[in-house]
Amino acid sequence: MKEALKHYCGGYLRIRLKGFSPERFLNLCMARQIVIWDLRYQDGGYQFFITVKDFRRVRPLVKKAQVRLLILGRFGLPFFLYQNRRRKLFAVGLALFCLVLFVMSQFIWDITVDGNYRFTDDTLLHYLDTLDIRYGKRKAGIDCGQLEESIRSHYPEIIWVSARISGTRLMIKVKENEVMGSIPVKDDGPRDLVAENAGTITRMVVRRGKAQVAIGDSVEAGQVLVSGELPVYNDAEEMVDMRLVHADADIYAVTTEAYRETVPRLATKRSDTGKKRRGLRIRAGSLSFLWMLPSIGQNPWEVTSRSSQVAVLGDFFLPVWVDQILAQEYQTYERFQTKEDLEREKQKIHQKKMENLAEKGVQILENSVKILRGDSCWEVQGEFLLERQIGVGREIRQAEKETDLADERSGDDY
Amino acid sequence: MFDQVKAAAAENLKLPRDVVLGEVLVSFVGRTCAIVENYRGILIYDDQTVKLQAKNCKLQFHGKRLHIDYYNHDEMKISGQIQSMEFGD
Repeated sequence: MKEALKHYCGGYLRIRLKGFSPERFLNLCMARQIVIWDLRYQDGGYQFFITVKDFRRVRPLVKKAQVRLLILGRFGLPFFLYQNRRRKLFAVGLALFCLVLFVMSQFIWDITVDGNYRFTDDTLLHYLDTLDIRYGKRKAGIDCGQLEESIRSHYPEIIWVSARISGTRLMIKVKENEVMGSIPVKDDGPRDLVAENAGTITRMVVRRGKAQVAIGDSVEAGQVLVSGELPVYNDAEEMVDMRLVHADADIYAVTTEAYRETVPRLATKRSDTGKKRRGLRIRAGSLSFLWMLPSIGQNPWEVTSRSSQVAVLGDFFLPVWVDQILAQEYQTYERFQTKEDLEREKQKIHQKKMENLAEKGVQILENSVKILRGDSCWEVQGEFLLERQIGVGREIRQAEKETDLADERSGDDY
Repeated sequence: MFDQVKAAAAENLKLPRDVVLGEVLVSFVGRTCAIVENYRGILIYDDQTVKLQAKNCKLQFHGKRLHIDYYNHDEMKISGQIQSMEFGD
């Protein structure tokens, strides 16, 4: 590639070689390091490419080898310029193109942010906007070191920033602090553990508090499973004090969960007619040019477009976006749901419910689903038998407890 | 005598013979391309034959539509439909 560019810039010739000893001429060229390429034998003679610079050096060799050279073609930049020397507007256009390219290369036309998880691209770009760094900003006006420092100081969670300009692109790489900024305060206040759902206890491990239920017991929602009140008795087995603790336990129970969802009898279906239209939109700032045939007929069209920013070289982005547009015609109609449609719909709803439960870490022991015909629609009814953790904390109000305790001591009975 | 010593040294020291003795090195890429290194000059060239002079031998390529993509002091690339290659003295 580099060689080809060098040859093009310097100009090169296609030569026809004939004569007494062409091989000797070729060897002499090799000895004098004259570059010859694409050597072919054609019609009793030889044809090859040689640079203009080397062609000027072969004259003595031609005499020595008693051969004759004939120029078949001239290629490369010098000949191109010579042939187009009268086309002034072309030269002006070329110069203008170079000028525009040079001017455009002085600005930022693309900003990329990499390595961010907690802060979205939009958040960081908005912050850059407040620093007056946006698309179209002059490259000379951006101090990468200062920008790095600003991002670090504004976002303490970002521990490392690298900003650099490559072509017309500003590349920002960040590394966020993966360790949590502050340790969450542990809630150690007195509480009971109560049942979140009704069910039958299958497993329980109590770490703190007084268990109020046993394995195999059926519990109702809201029932106290582990009490955070620990009574203190004296030798006469009289309660002298009540200690309040933070009840802590893992309590699993088998519970049932049911759901109902409706499916309409009529389904709106879509079918493509097969008609397609392709188009192109070029956007530059507020200007927009669209090349696309208008739509024909009454049917709706689904339009999708793929947008890409024009780049001359790898990182040399221009403020021009090209959208490739594809429009597909379709028509909609309504029809009664078939058996297959209903079955598919049922499985879809049930699968989604199961996925939601699995995400919560619930173990599904049994599941069943059926679809029934309602008055105006179909109804999907599903039921799950689950094993799940049912204990949730409920705060014990200190004041209430102290009052209760005082009442017990005074012997009042209500 | 000196050549024999060099050959023995290359053999015993496991040195490449093309570097030490200047022997011709031919590499084929399929049957359409051959790269010849350590050659001295072109003896005959037409679209069916390329005959080259190496240090210790001659080598001749036979084929159809043979052409030389490039050649210089060090190597030559021959393309075309190569049918055979033979060595001669």
